[in-house]
Amino acid sequence: MTEQNRGHRAMSLSAMEGLTLTCGNRRNLLTAFDRTNTESAKIRAIEKSVVPWVNDQDVPFCPDCGNKFSIRNRRHHCRLCGSIMCKKCMELISLPFANKLTSASKDSLSTHTSPSQSPNSVHGSRRGSISSVSSVSSVLDEKDDDRIRCCTHCKDTLLKREQQIDEKEHTPDIVKLYEKLRLCMEKVDQKAPEYIRMAASLNAGETTYSLEHAGDLRIEVQKVYELIDALSKKILTLGLNQDPPPHPNTLRLQRMIRYSATLFVQEKLLGLMSLPTREQFEELKKKRKQEMERKRILERQAALESQRRLKERRSDLAPRTANGEVASLRGGPAPLRKAEGWLPLSGGQGQSEDSDPLLQQIHNITSFIRQARAAGRADEVRTLQENLRQLQDEYDQQQTEKAIELSRRQAEEEDLQREQLQMLREREWEREREQFQATSLHTRTRSLDFREIRPFQLEPGREPRTHLAYALDLGSSPVQSSAAQKTPSPVSALEPVRVWSGPPALGQEPLPQSTVSQQSELASLNPFEEEDPSSPTADGTTSPPAAEPASGPSACVLKEYNPFEEEEEEAVAGNPFTNPDSPAPNPFDEEDEYPCPRPSSPPVPGNPFEEATCTNPFEMDSDSGPEGEEPIEEELLLQQIDNIKAYIFDAKQCGRLDEVELLTENLRELKRTLAKQKGGTD
Amino acid sequence: MNVVFAVKQYVSKMIEDSGPGMKVLLMDKETTGIVSMVYTQSEILQKEVYLFERIDSQNREIMKHLKAICFLRPTKENVDYLIQELRRPKYSIYFIYFSNVISKSDVKSLAEADEQEVVAEVQEFYGDYIAVNPHLFSLNILGCCQGRNWDPAQLSRTTQGLTALLLSLKKCPMIRYQLSSESAKRLAECVKQVITKEYELFEFRRTEVPPLLLILDRCDDAITPLLNQWTYQAMVHELLGINNNRIDLSRVPGISKDLREVVLSAENDEFYANNMYLNFAEIGSNIKNLMEDFQKKKPKEQQKLESIADMKNVKRLLQNPKVTEFDAARLVMLYALHYERHSSNSLPGLMMDLRNKGVSEKYRKLVSAIVEYGGKRVRGSDLFSPKDAVAITKQFLKGLKGVENVYTQHQPFLHETLDHLIKGKLKENLYPYLGPNTLRDRPQDIVVFIIGGATYEEALTVYNLNRTTPGVRIVLGGTTVHNTKSFLEEVLASGLHSRSKESSQVTARSTSRR
Repeated sequence: MTEQNRGHRAMSLSAMEGLTLTCGNRRNLLTAFDRTNTESAKIRAIEKSVVPWVNDQDVPFCPDCGNKFSIRNRRHHCRLCGSIMCKKCMELISLPFANKLTSASKDSLSTHTSPSQSPNSVHGSRRGSISSVSSVSSVLDEKDDDRIRCCTHCKDTLLKREQQIDEKEHTPDIVKLYEKLRLCMEKVDQKAPEYIRMAASLNAGETTYSLEHAGDLRIEVQKVYELIDALSKKILTLGLNQDPPPHPNTLRLQRMIRYSATLFVQEKLLGLMSLPTREQFEELKKKRKQEMERKRILERQAALESQRRLKERRSDLAPRTANGEVASLRGGPAPLRKAEGWLPLSGGQGQSEDSDPLLQQIHNITSFIRQARAAGRADEVRTLQENLRQLQDEYDQQQTEKAIELSRRQAEEEDLQREQLQMLREREWEREREQFQATSLHTRTRSLDFREIRPFQLEPGREPRTHLAYALDLGSSPVQSSAAQKTPSPVSALEPVRVWSGPPALGQEPLPQSTVSQQSELASLNPFEEEDPSSPTADGTTSPPAAEPASGPSACVLKEYNPFEEEEEEAVAGNPFTNPDSPAPNPFDEEDEYPCPRPSSPPVPGNPFEEATCTNPFEMDSDSGPEGEEPIEEELLLQQIDNIKAYIFDAKQCGRLDEVELLTENLRELKRTLAKQKGGTD
Repeated sequence: MNVVFAVKQYVSKMIEDSGPGMKVLLMDKETTGIVSMVYTQSEILQKEVYLFERIDSQNREIMKHLKAICFLRPTKENVDYLIQELRRPKYSIYFIYFSNVISKSDVKSLAEADEQEVVAEVQEFYGDYIAVNPHLFSLNILGCCQGRNWDPAQLSRTTQGLTALLLSLKKCPMIRYQLSSESAKRLAECVKQVITKEYELFEFRRTEVPPLLLILDRCDDAITPLLNQWTYQAMVHELLGINNNRIDLSRVPGISKDLREVVLSAENDEFYANNMYLNFAEIGSNIKNLMEDFQKKKPKEQQKLESIADMKNVKRLLQNPKVTEFDAARLVMLYALHYERHSSNSLPGLMMDLRNKGVSEKYRKLVSAIVEYGGKRVRGSDLFSPKDAVAITKQFLKGLKGVENVYTQHQPFLHETLDHLIKGKLKENLYPYLGPNTLRDRPQDIVVFIIGGATYEEALTVYNLNRTTPGVRIVLGGTTVHNTKSFLEEVLASGLHSRSKESSQVTARSTSRR
């Protein structure tokens, strides 16, 4: 009975009704039969079974008029409540009237009960008033008597009930109209959201819904609105011409209904956006297409960007692999262009930032493979896997090289000590050559500089060894050096150049030869450290900054790869010497050679190098430092252009015209950049 | 802990329960106010409620095609009206909701009257208070006390309002009251009594920390309602008067007809919702007119006045012809409250000045009345801490000068009280618990009720406290929401001035008035 948790309390009506009964409200319709109706004891028994009759002895006077009951003034029982009255006070109910009440109550019994009410015994007995009427009338049907005797109170109640039934059955015009109005409103509530969805979609240029269909729906909804308007107007004017005019409250009600209908229409109609016309729709469609295209282009650009980055990385890596492989790798990316753009998974990227670039690359490729596999591009997966394998090999190799390098360094340190001793001895022995010795040391420092600066100038596509040789070439051609600086392409027909530039073409073969030079470089490392305090010239101080190319101002793109290259190079340098001790003797030998063969034997491998030092490649460094950047960029650009050309070809083959368009534009841009750059350098 | 939401939900539920079809809402005088605070006409129209009738209106037509929703206070008159209504039903079916606990005998007589079985539902929906803001409610009772004691009728109404609030928020609280106020104690006891009697209604799910009801008395802080309040809501109330979120503009000359009465409701007026707590000076041009209006009303009066302690200034101020008698009286009242016990108190002199200025006797009497009402003798706590004293008045005057944005510098005393309460530092000897139980944890849900009326400035304080103190939810209530004028009326109505020098005369007057 109480619902505390809902914060309110409901009282069941049954409780109230119980109270009414205990109060003895006589107006409750309880049925009874007239005892005087003696024609059939049977009927009377049935009548009595419906309601208990009041005892004759208990009622000496008519409760309504107060007359004494006697033989003349006989007692009559109300068939509906069992009470007693005199003949004057008795009322009669016709059967049709009773039928009307009973038939109506059948409907109302089912509909009238409110949701909170549950029929119970007390309730039932109250309702029973009607049911008693029906049972009595059914009994009476069998008799000639077509009327039911009852008291005035029961009759009163029955009349009231009849009125109620009449009211219920009679629906005023306003209710009919109002019901229609509500139906329309419901329809709007149903249809409008659907229409709004359609219109929004169409206005965005989508083609999910058809314009005609939406138009139809709009007309439908609008018609409902018109209907609402018409209905509410009709309600507003209901009975205005009547005489007497309706009660002000009725008019108020009508006004309010009209007002709320207007509010409804206003509110919902405002939300009902208009549809585009056919032409507008076409335009919208076009616009949307463009939009989508633009979006796709953006996506593609992002993809290309990532591809390019990938390629850059790879092309940086490529030189470290054998030459033959470089070519195959170059060709590698071609199938990739089909990809919608695979970006390395961000998580992996963040983590690999500080780790080895090779590892990073491996990671990227793994994620590409995953994406390609997800996209079901088997051939691409294959290429990528191939790439991955190469990278992994590379990485393994690098790791072993690193280990070797480490041990080699240890050996070198020992060598250094020995060398120092040796040098001291040398100085003692040949003081007159001390000057020369100093310069030679100097050169070595330079060469070191040179080596370390090289990454700046390094074109990603180039094999490092070529460079090394190259540098040596430059160094070995003191006269030509200035010309050579500007055009880094293999210069002129200098004899030594050929000797040194030759090897790169031979792939791995040049290694032994270059080892010598590299070895000298490595060896020079030591003297540099040693000489640093002793060499007051600018070289000692200027070289360190130059020796940190990674942080240098040039070539940001390459920056991150510098450490790698350095490592790589060292590894390569260390590579031939499986015996860590072996490099040690070499510089020594060279050192030893310096004093003697120097002036006399230029063709010795070590010599040109030393000569180069004499001409001071350092100067060249400072010159080519800033300039060296651009050609590299150029090279990159060219490479990119080549790639894009390949993509375009491929896209054409596959018939992806939009892609071709996009790529062509990219190409054009690249060419423009290239031209600009060339203009800048020239 | 949102009173507007609580009442709104009740009303929504009533309408929902009655199902589809045209409806009429039958209310009494008070419930009309309660419903109108939470529902706008257009909102309620959308729910098919087209007519709003008063149960006591005689001119109602029989409209059997309407369903009737009756939302009534369970008063004797209302029950009588309802009995008449049910004997001769004008509507097809009746859904009856009482705003508070109704007695069994009343239900019985209603049941007897329902001969035609038109009643579908009888329920108690405890929306028996005016929800002004989400955390501010009022009972719209002016003059709740006679002297220091409750008007018995108002005490029962206040008890009903408070218990209904607790029921609608589903709180069964521990009660603390202001010891210095007899009426606070009485109210606390009455509320406790109802809770005990209707214990089954108050059986809510137990919270970890029981809610707290703090009952205060306006006389503990008579300063706040005397000061000008500077938030938008408070300003409007101060200057125009808000009653049930309605502003009566009919006295404003030249106002157009449809602006006679303006409804200010945060529920529906975005501007109002956004600005109601804003400092007046921050609101800007939209209500510039109002501001100008205000400036016209009390300009330049405090030009060089730095402190009310400066007697000469007060004197000069009083002699300034531009100061209205109302403001002059107000000033003296503040002075009187402040320096009540000061040795060199020159209140008599000021009173003379007031008389000379021609301030009506009514206002002059108010000065003593207010001291009687909210003087030191009455105050349970020290309203003016030595430091605060000058500061408050300074701010008051500074604010009036409009020099800078210091309008809301005054912190109502309630802030300190609540602050202490939240921190668990509110002294138990000043604000004892009713009953043996005390709250050990810091309170979380707090209902503060001020006998004698709250102010919008205090509502702002509560609003800010709610915003800045996580885990604490405060609802503020009062017998009414005051501006200075209504507060003075309240003081006047309490009849305290009868104890002043002119007592005999005044009592004679007040009795004759009645």
